[in-house]
Amino acid sequence: MGEACCGPGYPSPAEAIKAPREKLLYTIAIYTGTGIQKPDYLATVDADPDSPTYSQVIHRLEMPGIGDELHHMGWNACSSCHDDSSMARKYLLVPGVRSNNIHVIDTATDPRAPRLHKIIDGAEIRAKTDLSGPHTVHCLGSEIIISFLGDARGEAPGGYLHLDKDFEIVGRWEASMGDIPFGYDFWYQPRHNVMISSEWAAPNTFMPGFDLEEVGYLKYGRRLHVWDFEKRVPIETMYLGEDGLIPLEVKFLHDPDSTHGFCGAALSTNVIHFWKSDDGKWAWEKIIDVDNEPHPEWPIPVPGVMSAILVSMDDRYLYINNWLHGDMRQYDITDPHNPKLTGQVWMGGLLGRAPEVNGVKVAGGPQMFQLSLDGKRLYVTTSLFSTWDNQFYPEIRTQGGVMVQIDCDVDNGGMSINPDFIVDFGKEPNGPSRCHETRYPGGDCTSDIWL
Amino acid sequence: MSGTRTITIANRGGAAYSVAERRPLLDTLREQGVDLPYGCRYGGCITCAARLTAGTIDQRRQVALNNRQLANGYVLLCVARPVTDCVLEIGVESHGLLYRNPFLDPLAPHELKPAIARPKEP
Ligand code: FES
Repeated sequence: MGEACCGPGYPSPAEAIKAPREKLLYTIAIYTGTGIQKPDYLATVDADPDSPTYSQVIHRLEMPGIGDELHHMGWNACSSCHDDSSMARKYLLVPGVRSNNIHVIDTATDPRAPRLHKIIDGAEIRAKTDLSGPHTVHCLGSEIIISFLGDARGEAPGGYLHLDKDFEIVGRWEASMGDIPFGYDFWYQPRHNVMISSEWAAPNTFMPGFDLEEVGYLKYGRRLHVWDFEKRVPIETMYLGEDGLIPLEVKFLHDPDSTHGFCGAALSTNVIHFWKSDDGKWAWEKIIDVDNEPHPEWPIPVPGVMSAILVSMDDRYLYINNWLHGDMRQYDITDPHNPKLTGQVWMGGLLGRAPEVNGVKVAGGPQMFQLSLDGKRLYVTTSLFSTWDNQFYPEIRTQGGVMVQIDCDVDNGGMSINPDFIVDFGKEPNGPSRCHETRYPGGDCTSDIWL
Repeated sequence: MSGTRTITIANRGGAAYSVAERRPLLDTLREQGVDLPYGCRYGGCITCAARLTAGTIDQRRQVALNNRQLANGYVLLCVARPVTDCVLEIGVESHGLLYRNPFLDPLAPHELKPAIARPKEP
């Protein structure tokens, strides 16, 4: 991709948008916590409408052992290495949240059938770096950083694992965690020497499931942290309070000159917009507030639970989910202070608005999603985390997860379910599995950073 | 015999295993061919939870179960050592009381995790 002389990715977001359409998707699928004693796996999904196996799982790469709980993943290299012709976007790093193992998967030798290249042993990571509970993977020029939510005993705040480009452990990335109580997601803008990190909870708090009462005991996060990226130290905290309970995904605009970014506060079900103001201070405001919805059988209204957000490569649209309500939404963020709701579709959820999509009963609600580089196809999966699924959507154990494609109108706004695409992970050969994060071989809308 | 305990698995036809008293049940039962789920292996994630219906377990290293789950007999096999002979139900078939919807079924203050629970009101 890009010019032949160059390394991975694209010279700019505008060039990325023009990349060829994705034909293969990689999504992780789990058996951890489902009762099926099989390893979690990386599924290859055929996304080429002209292929005879379109909308099917065409390959499954099993991990060597059971119990990893694969969750998020990231590339070994992205557009931040575009000038380095010795680098290639070849390996997906796929951590196991529970096992601590980092699986390095070669997707380039045969893109349809990825193969295991290397495993960084979870016990070794614990012993050498005192970290557990891996989450977000970002590359950092030719190196890699991974946020971990706990220390070796699962206590917050954890820290960041630093790997070199051969996937050897360098050590801890951060110089200090300062007084950060919790970790989760992070994103950085090198031109502004800034990284923003968010807060879920300690592994020992969230891995067993969600005890809502623990929010009141301050066991869950409510802050964003601003880092001096070069010095690798946190320098400022944005306390979000009740507006920002459980702030999860952090995304800057793709424009490397911009300081505007967003965070989805899952439990408050709000979007927080942050930016660097003219006086050099970081500011934030709540720009989207999804109301709790009444439920026929619940004594209290249901929160949306906004567990993920995503910004289109042209920085025009923000996508959010409401995992418990069951809707995906598209907002025009041309003015990031004043988002406009331009699209909404329903798939699953607790409110009963769309129990079935394209003939498949949906257990769970919209949860993780990945957008095509041209912004037109949004692939959405339904499982959040095994223990949390088991609490809110127990039927997912027998029905498994699904992957849905939403077609997005990039000119006028709007979303609709694609009638020709559905991947039913309830029908997998080893029994119902649950799909989560998705990536594409050529890069996607949550991978690339420009220096 | 000193140093060993007998573990009976009720939902595997009452199969009985002789295990070392000082080692975690996840290890000693898997070594004898019992297929058990697990994740973190340090008592932090409940993937390996089983239900104790008779006997006494030492699981002082567990950090993931709340007091309601403990009162319902759940044990984390990766850190559970048998103090006496025990009867267990294993696997997700035993997880009926392990998961709850926290919005519909709140925990009382004495049912929180041991580190933050308050004593039960008389
Ligand atoms: S395997 Fe995680 S608590 Fe036992």
